[in-house]
Amino acid sequence: MWSFPENPRIRRNLFYYNHTTVNLKIFGCVKITKPMASPFIDIRNLVFRHPIRGKESILALQNVNLAIEEGEYVAIIGANGSGKTTLARHLNALLLPERGSVRVDGLDTRDPQNHPKIRSTVGMVFQTPEDQIVASILEEDVAFGPENLGLPNPEIRRRVEDALEITGMSELRQRPPHLLSAGQMQRAALAGVLAMRPRCVIFDETTAMLDPGGRRMVRELIGRLHRDGLTVIVISHFMREAVAADRIIVLEHGQVAIDSTPSTVFSHPGDLPKLGLDLPQAARLAEKIQGVLPGLSKPLLRSGDLLAALSNLPRPERIRAPGNTPIRAPGTVTPLIEMDGLYHTYMLGTPLAHAALRNASFHSSEGAIHGLIGPTGSGKSTLLQHMNGLLLPQVGRVRVGPYDLNHPKVDLKAVRRFAGLVFQHPEYQLFEQYVGDEIAYAARLKGEKAGLREIVRSAMRMVGLDFETYKDRLTFTLSGGERRKVALAGMLAMQPEILLLDEPTAGLDPLSRRETLGYLKNLNCTGKTLVLVSHHMEDVAELSSSVSVLNKGATVLEGAAVHVFEQVDLLQSLGMEAPLAAQAAAVLRSKGWPLNGGILKPDDLVDQLAQLQESGRE
Amino acid sequence: MNNFEFLRFVNIGQYLPLDSYLHRLDPRARILAYGLIIVAVTFTPRPHGLVVGLLLMVGLLRLGRIPLHYAFRSVLPPLPFLLILAVMQIFLAVHPADAVPFMTIGPVSIFSAGLLSAGMLLLRFTVLILAIGLASFTLSTSEMIHGLEALLAPLTRIGIPTHDFVMVVQVTVRFIPFLAQAAERIAKAQASRGAEWGVRKGNLWQRARQVAPLMVPLFLTSLRRAETMALAMDARGYGSPVRRTSLITMQFLWRDGLVVCLAVLLAAAMLFLGR
Repeated sequence: MWSFPENPRIRRNLFYYNHTTVNLKIFGCVKITKPMASPFIDIRNLVFRHPIRGKESILALQNVNLAIEEGEYVAIIGANGSGKTTLARHLNALLLPERGSVRVDGLDTRDPQNHPKIRSTVGMVFQTPEDQIVASILEEDVAFGPENLGLPNPEIRRRVEDALEITGMSELRQRPPHLLSAGQMQRAALAGVLAMRPRCVIFDETTAMLDPGGRRMVRELIGRLHRDGLTVIVISHFMREAVAADRIIVLEHGQVAIDSTPSTVFSHPGDLPKLGLDLPQAARLAEKIQGVLPGLSKPLLRSGDLLAALSNLPRPERIRAPGNTPIRAPGTVTPLIEMDGLYHTYMLGTPLAHAALRNASFHSSEGAIHGLIGPTGSGKSTLLQHMNGLLLPQVGRVRVGPYDLNHPKVDLKAVRRFAGLVFQHPEYQLFEQYVGDEIAYAARLKGEKAGLREIVRSAMRMVGLDFETYKDRLTFTLSGGERRKVALAGMLAMQPEILLLDEPTAGLDPLSRRETLGYLKNLNCTGKTLVLVSHHMEDVAELSSSVSVLNKGATVLEGAAVHVFEQVDLLQSLGMEAPLAAQAAAVLRSKGWPLNGGILKPDDLVDQLAQLQESGRE
Repeated sequence: MNNFEFLRFVNIGQYLPLDSYLHRLDPRARILAYGLIIVAVTFTPRPHGLVVGLLLMVGLLRLGRIPLHYAFRSVLPPLPFLLILAVMQIFLAVHPADAVPFMTIGPVSIFSAGLLSAGMLLLRFTVLILAIGLASFTLSTSEMIHGLEALLAPLTRIGIPTHDFVMVVQVTVRFIPFLAQAAERIAKAQASRGAEWGVRKGNLWQRARQVAPLMVPLFLTSLRRAETMALAMDARGYGSPVRRTSLITMQFLWRDGLVVCLAVLLAAAMLFLGR
């Protein structure tokens, strides 16, 4: 029964080989005390309740049974609040089961003596990178874990080298973490985890705050770790990241709803909304294309597979290029927001001065939804803050509606009321105790009294919050998605003409994200102008009619969304990404399909393909 | 001018990664030397010592390649308070019973002893602020942490948990930029919804009143962040019973010893000069 386990890691690469020898060195013995039958991670009848949150304890996990084998690649998905993070934190003993048991490599998490071993076996990368970095120099932060393990100095050095090498951060080892970009910081956090030589890494919504380039990098790193034999567990709201795994665990109200392969999980699209999920965009697009091109068969879940399948598609012989469909040009009237030659330097006049904007420009017409995209650190937030007078132009011209921000006597409060800004992190924007007061904040400051209740009620209606249910809720007990809605409603109560939105959907599950996009569309229909900053090209493509692209503080592209997103290669080189439909169109075009420009959304592509089929039949 | 960059005016606690002779010294030597100088400046009974201290600071700032105007700027924020204290000093300083008033305005007499002690107060605080500033400009957090850890190590033997103490210092220092950043974000969010922030007017009282609504969200967000950071530290094995080791190995060279000796001499000079 007890015997030397077959070590599946022997054939794997140097990184792993090192790990085994290290184990031998530290613990002075070969691990032979593991029963063969027990899985690497073994969860039995796990029950967990969050301690008091708004007077009642909340059942977060009920009766979870799971077994994860070493070397597996697992994705955990589910709606906001379904217990994903709670489950993950049980795997490295950050939370302990109330009932039931969790065993990692045969070690029970309830025994505190096992914690150091468990935590060096299972590493975890969190969502917000800056909160996980302890030291003030990258290299030392990476060393934090090994230092805690009490390893000798040369060994620490070696592990730090390896971890920096794998994550590609060697060059930046002497940097203080707060001067790293979000993507770099997330890689730094991963390096800190890898330096402990874990056998399993959990990624807890690691990519939620990253730009497409950063997400791609993390995806590649995850793939590499998996190939190297690590157990990888990914928690994500991006279905695209989930389908990269071999196995998907879907949580619903703290219970395992589905535990299967990606193709099974997504085989019943009808059940997904109930779980707060959505089909991966590749699957959605594939399904639509299959409607017009039956040649594209089997289910395609991954973008890469879809693009490959499209490029292998036989081109129909008899098709004629259709006449050019005119592209709607953005209005040539005077723009509502006008910014030219804008420069901005933070910490001006100190040795730490750094330029955020270098010759940025921005033009948005009235009633439009204007997308603002660019890699992290390209100056999007800085530019946005110029639009409501939080920042004033140091060099350059800014005009927002009737307000000239270069004028020294401009009424800044009026500007801020005219252009309402909602920030990315809702936790910094809620300062009242009750939701009702929170939303009334701006209107009350404006001096509104009699109509206050009605204003709050209608603002809440616009974001889908029920007035009676929510007005007396405590703001700090709200979930992430609800907080975002309250923050948005709080700004709408100010009745601005322009809405400036910084990443309105980051961290939301697929369903809430769709809802939010719906509200934004409706707001636009009521005549509001929207400026949307986002890392999610699909969102931008779906909503915006015009787009600006920032890079290193300068505007590199500005114009109609269809024109901007046609620059697939340029976007890619900036760490951005064209929406999948545009990418698919580019692939088909390169294979000789006579597709017109102006393909942004799945429907644009499908319509054109349908037309081609029609003309082929005639 | 931008009214939201709170960090811009807080340059104490800001490390400047420059390459200077000071920056290259062993952190332990720097900690000892700065400590000695700060103690001497605090306790020197005579103006001579303070003048030596001021000259020393200017010299050291130069040696550390820190722009003087940048260093002196950190004296500005507390200046109003210092001036109030100094004025009180003028009137309240103890003077010998037979002293001749320096000048008399109505019923109030000003004695030279009062003027002297007011001047010393201003000078003392200026030098102290410069010294603390110098320490933070030239000592990176990690150097300070490792230096302190090494210096305090002997205390572990008598049962004082120096590792934990040093960790507390480290995390506190990590949190200073957090707090400034969070305050900035909250103020901006409030301003965006019509609060008085960053509008080009407002007297001191109005400005003071704005700070109150900032506090609650600042606390909540800081607590939340602290919680995440604690989790992240736990997840990386902090608090395991094994004795922590360190990536950094420090070398105490002869020049470091020399610097410490020099600091002892200067501190002694400041304390006993003019006696």
